[in-house]
Amino acid sequence: MTPLLSFLNVSKRCLDGGREVLVLDRVSLEIDRGASVGVYGARRSGKSTLLRMAAGIALPDSGTVRFEGRDLAQMSAGERGRLLREAIAFMSVNDWSANPGETVVDHVATALGSEGLTMREARRRALGVLDQVGVGASGAQETTTSLSMTERTRVMLARALAREPRLLVLDEPAQMPSLGDRDRFYKLLRSATEQRSMALLVASEEMSALQGFSVLMSIADGELCSTMEQGSVVSLPNLRRARAERLG
Amino acid sequence: MASVSPEKTRWMRGPSTPLRGALLGLLLERPGHGGDLANRLAARLGETWRVDTNDVYRLLEQLEKTGLVVSRDEPKRSNNRRTHLVYYPTEETPEALTLWMETLLPREPVRLGLQAKLSVARQQDAPRLLIALRAYERECLLLAHLVSPSEGEARSWAALCMECTREAVYAQLQTEVDWAARTRRRINEFLERSD
Repeated sequence: MTPLLSFLNVSKRCLDGGREVLVLDRVSLEIDRGASVGVYGARRSGKSTLLRMAAGIALPDSGTVRFEGRDLAQMSAGERGRLLREAIAFMSVNDWSANPGETVVDHVATALGSEGLTMREARRRALGVLDQVGVGASGAQETTTSLSMTERTRVMLARALAREPRLLVLDEPAQMPSLGDRDRFYKLLRSATEQRSMALLVASEEMSALQGFSVLMSIADGELCSTMEQGSVVSLPNLRRARAERLG
Repeated sequence: MASVSPEKTRWMRGPSTPLRGALLGLLLERPGHGGDLANRLAARLGETWRVDTNDVYRLLEQLEKTGLVVSRDEPKRSNNRRTHLVYYPTEETPEALTLWMETLLPREPVRLGLQAKLSVARQQDAPRLLIALRAYERECLLLAHLVSPSEGEARSWAALCMECTREAVYAQLQTEVDWAARTRRRINEFLERSD
């Protein structure tokens, strides 16, 4: 069966102050429908690049990223954009933006713009999802500017879930001051995606945030390590290690 | 910590002190036989500790010699004709536990096997070290994967202690994964420079 998302031998280089840095080094992995994958990595480890490629926001320099068997690099920018509005939802707390004065329910409802719903239908669906993430009817009528970081994260999750994507990609979603709030958010996230058989790919700088995920990975210097059996998720040896092996 | 007689802290010497302290805490909650205590320790401390039942019996015997626990031969619940040793706290146990709580932990030896290898590795051992570090990183991930997830907000003191223990396990494993990654990076950078 074709995996939902696959990376095969994916490498990516970026410029860092004029110096070329290898951010992802021949990474291979597969994520099936309904799987929850947590990626632990320190800052600048390559995890955000991995996630942006999974969502089709960035493309590899070499190797292939496929979503439902389709090579993302072979799609037009328009097709990738449509994918990101429909089948894949990408969420990063740093990307939060909302119109001034907009209510929470409208903020979530506008994410459903491409689904041909009337605004009333979109609001009804938005209210249902907001309720599932713990934002009640009165909270839904608040303006987005009045939200705390914890509330904003829940609203972002509702906006992502409302479109019923098949893959939810979250980059460091719960930067919250309280550990209790963080754990509640992750519990909510796992149950909401399990109910929908949605695949989940989450990156965090805190390993403890990724408890309860079906697969745990770590990334450092663009290399991936995984709890999955070899063959299910493969991390190929990189060039530097191959060179070291020759030395041996 | 106020000045304490060395007699009272003698049991806190050696690498098994954390387990001895945890056993005293468990006995203060309720008495139990060795197997029961080993099971309770394993459930409480999580998979990373790999509690060995034989070690638990050995530590209980040591604690009994210091007067911090006492055992009684009692009939087994499952078979009245057979007996087993049930361990109880003594009058001194609560104070011993308090002293242990106040004592700064000595620095624990970590990843001893890998450290020993690193300390004497030759350059031609680099690929083997990289593989060992990679395997260690994966082992840490697998252990993190075994930790049962949090139930959310801790509503009791016992649940809070479990949460803090869980957090300690993750903090330790995260540090280990970071260390393994940093060490791999150092080795790789050295190999690149010496190419």
